[in-house]
Amino acid sequence: MFRPPGSARRAAVGAALAAVVLSAAACGGGATAQQTAEGNGSSFVSGTYATTVFRQGARPVAPQVTGTTLTGTRFLLSADRGAVVVLNFWGSWCSPCREEAPALGALARHFSGAGVRFVGVDIRDDTASAEAFMRTFRIGYPSLNDPSDAIALDFSGTVPPAGIPTTLVIDRSGRIAARIVGTASYDGLEALITSVEPA
Amino acid sequence: MTGLRIPPEAGPDERATEFADAAGPQVQAGARPAGRFGAAGWLRWGWRQLTSMRTALILLFLLAVGSVPGSLLPQEGSNPEAVAQYYTAHPRLAPILARFSLFDVFGAPWFAAIYLLLFLSLVGCVLPRTVRMVGSARQPPPRAPRHLARLPLSVSYRTDQPPEQALASAARLLSGKRFRVRAEADWVAAEKGYLREAGNLLFHIALLAVLVSIGLGGLYGYKANRLLVAGTSFSNTVTALDVFRPGRLVTPGDLQPFSLTLDRFSASYVTSGTLMGQPSAFNAALTYTSAPGGPSRRYLLTVNHPLVVDGVRVFLIGHGYAPEFRVTDGAGHVAFDGPVPFIPVETSGFTSEGAIKVPDASPQQLGFAGVFLPTTVDVGGRLASAFPAPLKPSVSLVSYAGNLGMNSATPQSVYTLDTAGLHQLAVAPRPLTAGQSIQLPGRLGTLTYLGYRQWISLAITYDPGQFPALVSGIAVLGGLLLSFMVRRRRVFVRARAGAAGETIIEVGGLSRSDAAGGFEDEFSSLATEIRGLSSPPAPPASPGRPEEHRGDHEPPEGE
Amino acid sequence: MPINAGLAHLSNGLLLTAVVIYAVAMLAFACDFAFGKKRAPDVATVRVRELVSAKAATGAADGAGAGGSAPGGAEADAAAAAQRAGRGPAGFWVTTAVVLTCAGLALHSAGVLTRGLAVHRLPWGDMYEFVTALTCVAVAFFLGAMVRYRAYYMGLFVMASVVLVLGLAETVIYTPAGELPPALQSYWLAIHVTAMTLATGIFFVAAVTGVTYLVVDRHARRVAAGPPAGADGILRRLPGPAELDRLAYRTIVFGFPVWTFGVMAGAIWADYAWGSYWSWDPTETWAFITWVVYACFLHARATAGWRGRRAALIQLTAFCCLLFNVLVVSLIIPGQHSYAGLH
Repeated sequence: MFRPPGSARRAAVGAALAAVVLSAAACGGGATAQQTAEGNGSSFVSGTYATTVFRQGARPVAPQVTGTTLTGTRFLLSADRGAVVVLNFWGSWCSPCREEAPALGALARHFSGAGVRFVGVDIRDDTASAEAFMRTFRIGYPSLNDPSDAIALDFSGTVPPAGIPTTLVIDRSGRIAARIVGTASYDGLEALITSVEPA
Repeated sequence: MTGLRIPPEAGPDERATEFADAAGPQVQAGARPAGRFGAAGWLRWGWRQLTSMRTALILLFLLAVGSVPGSLLPQEGSNPEAVAQYYTAHPRLAPILARFSLFDVFGAPWFAAIYLLLFLSLVGCVLPRTVRMVGSARQPPPRAPRHLARLPLSVSYRTDQPPEQALASAARLLSGKRFRVRAEADWVAAEKGYLREAGNLLFHIALLAVLVSIGLGGLYGYKANRLLVAGTSFSNTVTALDVFRPGRLVTPGDLQPFSLTLDRFSASYVTSGTLMGQPSAFNAALTYTSAPGGPSRRYLLTVNHPLVVDGVRVFLIGHGYAPEFRVTDGAGHVAFDGPVPFIPVETSGFTSEGAIKVPDASPQQLGFAGVFLPTTVDVGGRLASAFPAPLKPSVSLVSYAGNLGMNSATPQSVYTLDTAGLHQLAVAPRPLTAGQSIQLPGRLGTLTYLGYRQWISLAITYDPGQFPALVSGIAVLGGLLLSFMVRRRRVFVRARAGAAGETIIEVGGLSRSDAAGGFEDEFSSLATEIRGLSSPPAPPASPGRPEEHRGDHEPPEGE
Repeated sequence: MPINAGLAHLSNGLLLTAVVIYAVAMLAFACDFAFGKKRAPDVATVRVRELVSAKAATGAADGAGAGGSAPGGAEADAAAAAQRAGRGPAGFWVTTAVVLTCAGLALHSAGVLTRGLAVHRLPWGDMYEFVTALTCVAVAFFLGAMVRYRAYYMGLFVMASVVLVLGLAETVIYTPAGELPPALQSYWLAIHVTAMTLATGIFFVAAVTGVTYLVVDRHARRVAAGPPAGADGILRRLPGPAELDRLAYRTIVFGFPVWTFGVMAGAIWADYAWGSYWSWDPTETWAFITWVVYACFLHARATAGWRGRRAALIQLTAFCCLLFNVLVVSLIIPGQHSYAGLH
């Protein structure tokens, strides 16, 4: 039976121990990042920033979304078939949503009349705060009140909103063409909309 | 019985007294000198060291030691606020500790290395032994040793029965007691207790299965939290959750699409005696649907009795108060109107703290921070709450105006104000009861306290590895009990003709030396029965006369 | 249901009386050491005696040989014979001590029972109740082990520890009878804490045996090295290291599955209460550490070079982890397990 001499054995054990300690130090602090809210009680999942684009032919069909706008009007997503719909999930209490709000308002004005409709879905907000938000950022497009997250639930089988804010771009035939998780920028969203439009 | 491997040249006496199932990669004392130093030799040596008992011992010890910092230091996974506090309290030490993953010990690479090595060692030991056990399933017991008197337990007696008959009846008896028997001309060997090894292996394999089940949950399961105010509802989507901790392979689309509404929450407290103020019951009345459009059902959620919907479990883990406010800004618009959850900071009176942020008030953003007191009392000029139930609720707030800091993308805590960009308004905080208002100076607006609602905090968990872990745990316990209660033991019987024409029967027995006791009783009753099978015993030899097979022991003590 | 104050009061009285009786029993055990008949031979010769007396037993069986007297009955029982060869009949002091311990145990059990009746639930919901219950188990287990193995020498050490712990319970960590908070209202509570109480009591006895082993073992080495240094009266009355080692091992073999089951039951309870069967809560972690170190002990006993003294040290380390868990972690370190009832 092979049994190395004492000195070689000690060297091997020492090397193994050293390897363990070094790797412990090297991999230290690398706790697996998971999708969580910051531990300071910010109380929502902001998700990892990501843009997903679906090519023509690979686009999932958007679900049948119904709701009531903040002003009390009934809304039906399918009624907007033929126009590109930009659906933005937001809340007045959400800082990244406040950061992207000017861009969204400006884009809505830029594309008005060009067959692009902007619709907001307001999450975990009261009506007064939501209306105040729209006044502050001069948002002209309507937002749906979704206190029980039913609209987000509708999308869970296709392209779910993976955090707040999430922006979905739905093409003219009612298929989901793109999703932005996280703060949308003016240029980025404009490029996405124009790339979808020819559909 | 040390688990050493039996050298092939061992005589029958050695083989009879060694229980070979423990043969493992123990290196024998006096091994041959080193051969080739090739890589293959080193690998083989390394593998044998890894799968040796001593290594298992060291790794087990390291596992225990490694868990210690995980219990003494705050951990990211369960208490991230405490970790942040530790950073502020020990600014120089904390980053060093974080380097070694000491704030996430159980997810740390070095901890994983310890238990993975341990299980590798275990697998390397268990698999060959399983193969060996299956192979030895039909193996007969070893030969009876020549000198049964040298065994730990032995008895001898004389009888008139011829040796063959005595041996045959002994063999029949032992076989009837489910021993595995091997009968030869001069002796009978019997062995029992093979289940012990099976139990031992089951225990270790089941431990592996527990680890795999935990891993399964870590990959496909998720945990989430949500705070829900009475009268509101939520659906199980990522946008609706406060905290979402998915397993590595979980995507937002995998969440089960249930929704639930909190109709009503009530808490009752002990109202008298030394434990006054301690909670005695929590009841949350829920209505839920397991899928959109599905039938809605009711459930009374209490602590220790979660709601199970679509494989997901929803637990009640906390509760509190959410006072309702309406804020009218300087321009006359209602800029805020709803409940704000306040977080309890102490349990005897349930004093709760919170903040109201009105970022869309004009002309200036408004912020309020303060306390909600369920049973308000004045203790020497300071406000406090005397009892956790809302017997005399009031809320007291400090008012601010300016820049809440919400327009940048960095998220803030919902429950505290960042006063860096705010200036405090010159209106003294006073306890407000329902319907009362604060008039802000400078025509900045009004805040009205409308009343309170209660909120509950839910833990939503989905763990597909939970049931396998339970089953494996039961197997762990079963294997453990089996390996502890079943003793591996051997009984030998020898019969030979004595000098005066009678037959001398010797019965000897032994069990694994580290087995739990009790074999002595079994052996003595077996010996009695074997003896009883013989015809009336021969007249007794005179006491005190040393028997010829006793060997060189001291004479026995006089009785 | 309101707490029955009369029964709670009765419970306190019974437990306090039990402590006093235990203290007197402890003194009786001490007197046995000081004045009792010298029963145990010199430590160094016990091992040989064991072997020989086993043969003597079989020789006696041979010699007796009468039909009915089963050789197996008592004589061939090697272990008992070895012990008896070292022990001999229980003396006056030991009998007194055992009677007192039994009386104390009766009152102790009644005290635990009445506490349970007073609060209308199983009486191990807070730290005080847990300690009174586990000491009750320890004394019961000790009595059983002592009678079975004729191990009277354990009396002094076990009773001293029990008196100390129970005394602390009655003074420092006493909590009045009361309801349990909702998180603890579950029948899995009963199962989990019962198992942990039992296992702690059993491991307590094993630890006492382990300490005795170390003392005796050290003395045996000294004796083997040269003539005894004197003042070893107590030590000479104790049995040999091998027997203590075996007793400790058997005790731990009994307690380890109970501890394993207790940890599993705790995981099931945690799953019902907090949604996660294992969340590395400090008390859970230390229960796991304790389990691992006892597993170390069991492995050590099967590893050449790690038996005897090293194994005993491992076993005592494991018990220290258990104590740390009960005393420090539940009371001081915040987690979800803080149910001690202390503020």
